[in-house]
Amino acid sequence: MAENASDLVVESFKLTKIYQNRQIALNDVTLRLEPGCVLGLLGHNGAGKTTLLRLILGLHRPTAGWVRVFGGIMTPNAAALRSRIGFIPTNPQFPRGMTPITYLDYIARLFGLPADIRKPRLASLIRAVDLLNVSGDIIDGFSNGMTARLAVAASLINEPDLLIWDEPTHGLDPEGRRSMLNLIKTLAREKTLIVSSHNLSDIDEVCNHAAVLSRGHLIYFGSLQDLKGRMRKNMYELDLDADQKAITKAFNVIKSMQEFRTVNLRQRRLEIRLTEEAATAPTLANVMMALTDNKVNLISIRNSGQVTEQAFLDLVEKEESRGFARAYNPEAA
Amino acid sequence: MEAAAALPQVRINRFLPYVAVFQSDLKQTLRSWIYRLWVLLTMSATVGYLLYRFGAKQVGGFVQPAPEMVSDLMTWVVWGSITLIIVITSGAICGERGTMADSVLCRGISRTQYFLGKLHSRLVIVLGTFLLMSTVALAGSMFLLHSERLSLTGSLLAVATVAAILTMIVSIGVSVSAIANTTVVSITVVWMTLYGLGFLMSFLPADYPSPDRALQNLPNVLKGIYDLHHLTRLLAGTMAISLFMSVLGMVCFSRKDV
Repeated sequence: MAENASDLVVESFKLTKIYQNRQIALNDVTLRLEPGCVLGLLGHNGAGKTTLLRLILGLHRPTAGWVRVFGGIMTPNAAALRSRIGFIPTNPQFPRGMTPITYLDYIARLFGLPADIRKPRLASLIRAVDLLNVSGDIIDGFSNGMTARLAVAASLINEPDLLIWDEPTHGLDPEGRRSMLNLIKTLAREKTLIVSSHNLSDIDEVCNHAAVLSRGHLIYFGSLQDLKGRMRKNMYELDLDADQKAITKAFNVIKSMQEFRTVNLRQRRLEIRLTEEAATAPTLANVMMALTDNKVNLISIRNSGQVTEQAFLDLVEKEESRGFARAYNPEAA
Repeated sequence: MEAAAALPQVRINRFLPYVAVFQSDLKQTLRSWIYRLWVLLTMSATVGYLLYRFGAKQVGGFVQPAPEMVSDLMTWVVWGSITLIIVITSGAICGERGTMADSVLCRGISRTQYFLGKLHSRLVIVLGTFLLMSTVALAGSMFLLHSERLSLTGSLLAVATVAAILTMIVSIGVSVSAIANTTVVSITVVWMTLYGLGFLMSFLPADYPSPDRALQNLPNVLKGIYDLHHLTRLLAGTMAISLFMSVLGMVCFSRKDV
């Protein structure tokens, strides 16, 4: 835990962004990001993810509230703070007529890096992202994968302490996506990352913290494990193999047990949810016993509460269902 | 503690981001078709007019005094190519909305440095091209037309006068470009501002300096007949407007979402 505010990488307080008094893009977002944290930013389209990232970068000015990065207030003129950040936008755009070498040299100069530092660094980054054979070609004709790799190199040229990557796997083929996720895992050992993505399995794989935005409001901020654990906790899915009659018989036995909050059968898939008090191991043992007694084979069993996507959807659904109750938040008050 | 002390300190050049934007913009503008068109038109008009006058003198014996000819050429640069100068300057910042945030302003550069890099690059391009053109015009007049009536001090003051007016136009163009969201809006606003200013200044009493009157008076200045106090007021006025517009553009740009 960071003991004081200056130890935090990112800290926002009541951060609000209203565009031209017409659109509320971000509403009262307060969060604290500690060093080493890999934060997955989740939310539907228009939830305010990119707005939050742009406020952290100082590309937008908050309508109310503030955001601190490395202990300093982020403003459009806070170049020193931005020089410790590496950013990848969703669809990176590049100045026309530049090659990977001239582009990375330009970006390095924007960070104030002198030639003896930037030249070797850009050369090794071009090699690292596998653009060596096209390093003298004009970027305009590059594929999505190539531009994504170039954007990664640009975001690392200043050796940043904080990386902000807005949908880094967007438009990548499976191989490119895998490379990107592996890179994030490697970087996460030394740096703080904020990764925004629609692909929840990506977030699940690389992040240890999550922030969920819904219509500009931060509805969850904490560890990813907590997010997954608190939603649909103790929920299991069992895929069964037997004739339907035997499965139904086993289902009726399981349904009669007291340890379950809900028991549903959909064709050959059994969904069970344990009560809060039920001990997992003995209860599941009883289920196995019921299946064995009725000659039902178990093909697979999984804890559906551990799926980030489901947890995210549940969280958003829960927030929506609160209706006007959202107007009063005792914790904030 | 020891490990931290052992880390090599990266030397950061604080002026490098400004220089990077300045150089990059200079290269891009020099490569743009609008700039090439402007240079082509300006230089063609200058060289063509010089040769025409030279031919008229050699063949027909018609002599146009060099001060009038150089004055005509300088005035043409301001009035004749004002649209192209406005287009070159008014798209300086808003014309790069796509790449500006994604590639430039999210890095270690402040808005002030970016604005100044753009402003200075466009000033160098417009003033450099004008100085080149006026040098050709003056040298051509001196050597081809052998005019003794052209005063060197007057020529320098005339060049300074037009350069000051161009500086004002460029400053207004880049500043509006930093405030506006699209190039079309920016060009429209700059057009309206310049013509509005020119129209309003035409109502000022005769002893007040205005760009229009200064351009009309250029032949006399080139001959060495000028009121230094009047010219100084004009230069100071245009510099004040340029400075005011630049500061306004810089402040607005520093508060703008990109």
